[in-house]
Amino acid sequence: MTAATIVALIAIAVWTGTVVAWCRRRPWGDAGRRFFRHPSATKGMVVLVFLATVALCAPLVTPFAPYQQILTLQDHPPTWLHPLGTDFIGRDVWSRLAYGARVSLGVGTLGMLVAVTLGGLVGAAAGYFRGWTDALLMRCVDIGLSIPRIFLVLAAIALWGKLGVGALTVLLGLTGWFATSRIVRAEVMSVRERPYTDAVRALGARPWWIVLRHVLPNSSAALIVSAALGIGNMMLLEAGLSFLGAGIRPPQPSWGNMIADGRDQLATAPWTTLFPGLAIALAVMALNATGDALRDALDPKTGGK
Amino acid sequence: MLAWLLRRIAASLAIVFVTVSLTFFAIHLAPGRPFMPPDERPMNPIVVHRLEQIYGLDRPLAVQYVRYFGALARGEMGESFSQRRPVAHAIADAVPNTLLLTATALVIDFTLGILIGLFQAARARRRSDVALANVTLFFYSLPTFWLALVLQLVCALWLGWFPTGGPTDPVMHASLPLLGRLGDRLYHLVLPALTLGLVGAGGTARFQRAALLEALGHDYIRTARAKGLAESAVLVRHAWRDALLPVISLAGVALPFLLTGAVLIETVFSWPGLGKLAADAISARDYPLVLGTTLLATCAVVLGSLVADLLTVAADPRVRVTA
Amino acid sequence: MLLPALLAALGGCKGQGGCTTEYCGTVVFAASGEPSSLLPAVSTQAIERDVFDQVFLKLADIGPDGGTFGDSGFTPELARSWEWTDPLTLTFHLDPRPRWQDGPPVTAADVAFTFDVYRDSIVGSQDREALAHIASVTATDSLTVVFKFRDRYPEMFYDATYHMRILPAHLLRNVARATWQTAPFGRAPIGAGPYRFVSWTPGQSIELAADSTYFLGRPHLRRLIWRFAGNLNNAVTMVLAGEADAVEVLVTPANIAKAKADSALTLYPYPGSTYNFVRFNLRANGDRSKPHPVFADPQTRRALVLALDRPQMVQAVFAGNAKIPPGPMPQLWSWLWKSQLTPAPFDTLEAVRLLRGRHLSFHLAVPSTSPTRVQYAQLLQEQYRRLGVTVVIDQVDNATLEQQLESGKFDAAMESFQTDPAPSSSVPALWSRSGPTNWGHYANDHFDALMKTAASAPTRAAAQAAWEQAFAALDQDPPCIILYALDNIAAVNRRVADVRIQPDSWWGLVRTWRIPPSQLTERDRAGR
Repeated sequence: MTAATIVALIAIAVWTGTVVAWCRRRPWGDAGRRFFRHPSATKGMVVLVFLATVALCAPLVTPFAPYQQILTLQDHPPTWLHPLGTDFIGRDVWSRLAYGARVSLGVGTLGMLVAVTLGGLVGAAAGYFRGWTDALLMRCVDIGLSIPRIFLVLAAIALWGKLGVGALTVLLGLTGWFATSRIVRAEVMSVRERPYTDAVRALGARPWWIVLRHVLPNSSAALIVSAALGIGNMMLLEAGLSFLGAGIRPPQPSWGNMIADGRDQLATAPWTTLFPGLAIALAVMALNATGDALRDALDPKTGGK
Repeated sequence: MLAWLLRRIAASLAIVFVTVSLTFFAIHLAPGRPFMPPDERPMNPIVVHRLEQIYGLDRPLAVQYVRYFGALARGEMGESFSQRRPVAHAIADAVPNTLLLTATALVIDFTLGILIGLFQAARARRRSDVALANVTLFFYSLPTFWLALVLQLVCALWLGWFPTGGPTDPVMHASLPLLGRLGDRLYHLVLPALTLGLVGAGGTARFQRAALLEALGHDYIRTARAKGLAESAVLVRHAWRDALLPVISLAGVALPFLLTGAVLIETVFSWPGLGKLAADAISARDYPLVLGTTLLATCAVVLGSLVADLLTVAADPRVRVTA
Repeated sequence: MLLPALLAALGGCKGQGGCTTEYCGTVVFAASGEPSSLLPAVSTQAIERDVFDQVFLKLADIGPDGGTFGDSGFTPELARSWEWTDPLTLTFHLDPRPRWQDGPPVTAADVAFTFDVYRDSIVGSQDREALAHIASVTATDSLTVVFKFRDRYPEMFYDATYHMRILPAHLLRNVARATWQTAPFGRAPIGAGPYRFVSWTPGQSIELAADSTYFLGRPHLRRLIWRFAGNLNNAVTMVLAGEADAVEVLVTPANIAKAKADSALTLYPYPGSTYNFVRFNLRANGDRSKPHPVFADPQTRRALVLALDRPQMVQAVFAGNAKIPPGPMPQLWSWLWKSQLTPAPFDTLEAVRLLRGRHLSFHLAVPSTSPTRVQYAQLLQEQYRRLGVTVVIDQVDNATLEQQLESGKFDAAMESFQTDPAPSSSVPALWSRSGPTNWGHYANDHFDALMKTAASAPTRAAAQAAWEQAFAALDQDPPCIILYALDNIAAVNRRVADVRIQPDSWWGLVRTWRIPPSQLTERDRAGR
């Protein structure tokens, strides 16, 4: 770890503190205030902002390139220069961890975005139109839910062979929307019954317009919460796939394939597996904590827990 | 009612049919071919061709598809390529192992989860609650396979308390008395079941705590308190009864997991269950075995939801059967 | 350990009695895979061979020097003696003692039946081609069997004895040939070897028991158990934890270091039978009619060989437990290693000159199931990057890799090849113009001619000289980058004595291993 790295890390810490403090001081409306009243919201947000900034500024906080191999220094325990040690081909674990954050957080977030969009649209369509649209879409969802997720993804990866990061993200998204669509459908069905929907319809608005403009925003709370909690699951799934050798391809680091790479050396060089595992746990913990707080904030019924 | 039931069964069969068909085409069209030995001995292309003839893979896909469902209708799931024996036998060998592992894991999951949740709700927002909340959140957020690796390293390799994997000790098992065999099984079960159970318990505890706190906010609880009941009695006798229902529904969701198993855990602990069977079948392109496991998993899910619906109808006459 | 206490508590007191002699040991082998059939004629995997080599016998086995020329060094198994009646006729006299494990004696008719099965295209044996030089096998009386060859060559005896495990005709004659691949016999085999089959618990283990009447000497180990660990990592872990007694290869330096540090284990190095390489596809990716834009040019291929610091890579990955072969060969052919050949040097200057400033880019297919090859691919990618060569690593599973190779849909692939004891069949299979697994469409007539000379060389010395010439011809026009050949290292529990490992069939000599009575543990005494 060089002086520049330390300075950069301190700067990121200060930036994180400032951002979170700023958000706390001017929360947007009631929901924001309720959000920050939740005991773990601030902690979760601090971790997330910090990790996201480290991921974005990875080149600034890493003394080595993530692919750089120092072949005289394999499986070296943590030192001042390599604060988290080196891996089996002499790559700096800290540097890979920082770059891996890009992949792991990116795949999780974008994958969830795909899933939420798709799940939201399908759920809204099914809930609003009902009838055979609903029956057809929900049977598809039933099928999707009746195949275990990891089989589905493993089979899909076998189907398309070598997947890039982008394709993997889309794939995770495409197999992750079933549950979301059910939640949204239920919300939409209840929103549809409310008087203002009838009012809008009476004014002659087109069905799709009603769904997009009026029904979806009203069920967005469910959508946001399911997304926040889903990113963590997405990350865990990506890690599991990489562990089975079907996820992110080398030399690109992801937290999952770092665990897989270090598995052989678990007894002799535990740091190569331990730190990426803890990183996943920390990130998913923060996501779950934030998701909890969001749910409480957006759903006043259960607020104040 | 009967008409509803018949329609529902027909829909379930249709779902199974579509799922298996999709899997059929997906796995056959996937790149890669069966009969690839897992080690470095190259296969002679002539032998591969002969094997394709034997298993009918040289026929057009449509013919294979019709044949597969024809055989299925007669109750045959075909011969596994990688195990050189009927798929039914391979699955029958894996089911008990998976059931043992997942059922034990679910028991650990719910016992531990419910107890922790109860304890936390009793001391809500006190220091012990916050500490436990952090612990449960931590376990809930862990990659299970990572926890498995760490537990294996620490408890099996370093401390030598438990075996590193496998469901029994092949040397001693056969010569042990009945109780000894049972003990041997349990002894091998501890680490894999604990890994799955701990991660699950993290989630269940959080769920149970939330459900309890919600129940505690209800009016009848206030009534109970007003009557002067002890806080512990209020919690256990009144609130818990109410808050157990959502947890039981959570268990319902977890039921298919009994059969699909846990691919990653079974891999780490060399546990010959259905999850590992399916993952191995996919990587060996063992088409009949992939289809067989998919069929089983789908049936489990579909059957589960059918039973759940039936129970709902039976329990709540307000639910209209026309839905 | 908790287990003994637990078992004592649950199962009551177990007496110390039972087996206490020289013939009591139990050895558990940790295996990374699981057999699919134990019927030798239809087997395809090394793990299957490990097990059935205990149950079935050959006519004669290769000797400790691994020689395949003539019959020198071969040791008798089912055949007591043999003679050449004429240059194309080999007569075996069977030992009258061996019996099938269900009773009847082994006869010449069994040998003739076995040959017929191996050659039957309906059965689909992997070894069918290897027996193509043999015209017929006939039993002249119950203990005499005559092999007639089509042509003369140095390795006739090797071909007659090495590929076939003699099968019981009385049990298999009525099994329809088309159903051999799935014959139930393959899951409950009966042979004439030192061990008989006891049980197979799918997904868990296979157990064999010693045949105390075995005609070549009673095996010392009473029970052999193969435990299926699912992968190498789990297998090594089981051995380190004392749940298994032996693992045949350790592969990674981390595993070797762990095994070395474990006082309960002894390490046994032996020459490996595989070599690893990056195969170039000389035809365009997915279109066999066109030359490959990068690899069609021999100079580019040579540049890619010279650009790699292979010694450093071997050091980095295997910490000195592997070597760089001077040609496409494993360490098993140790007599060929003694030659003057050296691997092509690490010469970036020459590589840069040959590359003429072009920026190359290609995909490298790597099997995701092999951590060492994935690791190697990353080393290679980084070294090429510095020379402006872009390598895209495609991690694919074995099934996909094999299909890509067969259909020519690849640029380069990182492969591993397990050889026979004889180069004359293993080298042409991959690198001759008509080789059945020459997936890269390498064609070098000069090299093919030299290989033909080498394969028909009458003595080892002559063969060595000829192979040297052939491999030298590959130097200027390389079909692949030869990366490494492993020193295999087996780890076996210390209480097992007289451990000998046969390089071509690792556990082939297990019947001579023993556990001295003083070293016996509770596990050795237990049994049905």
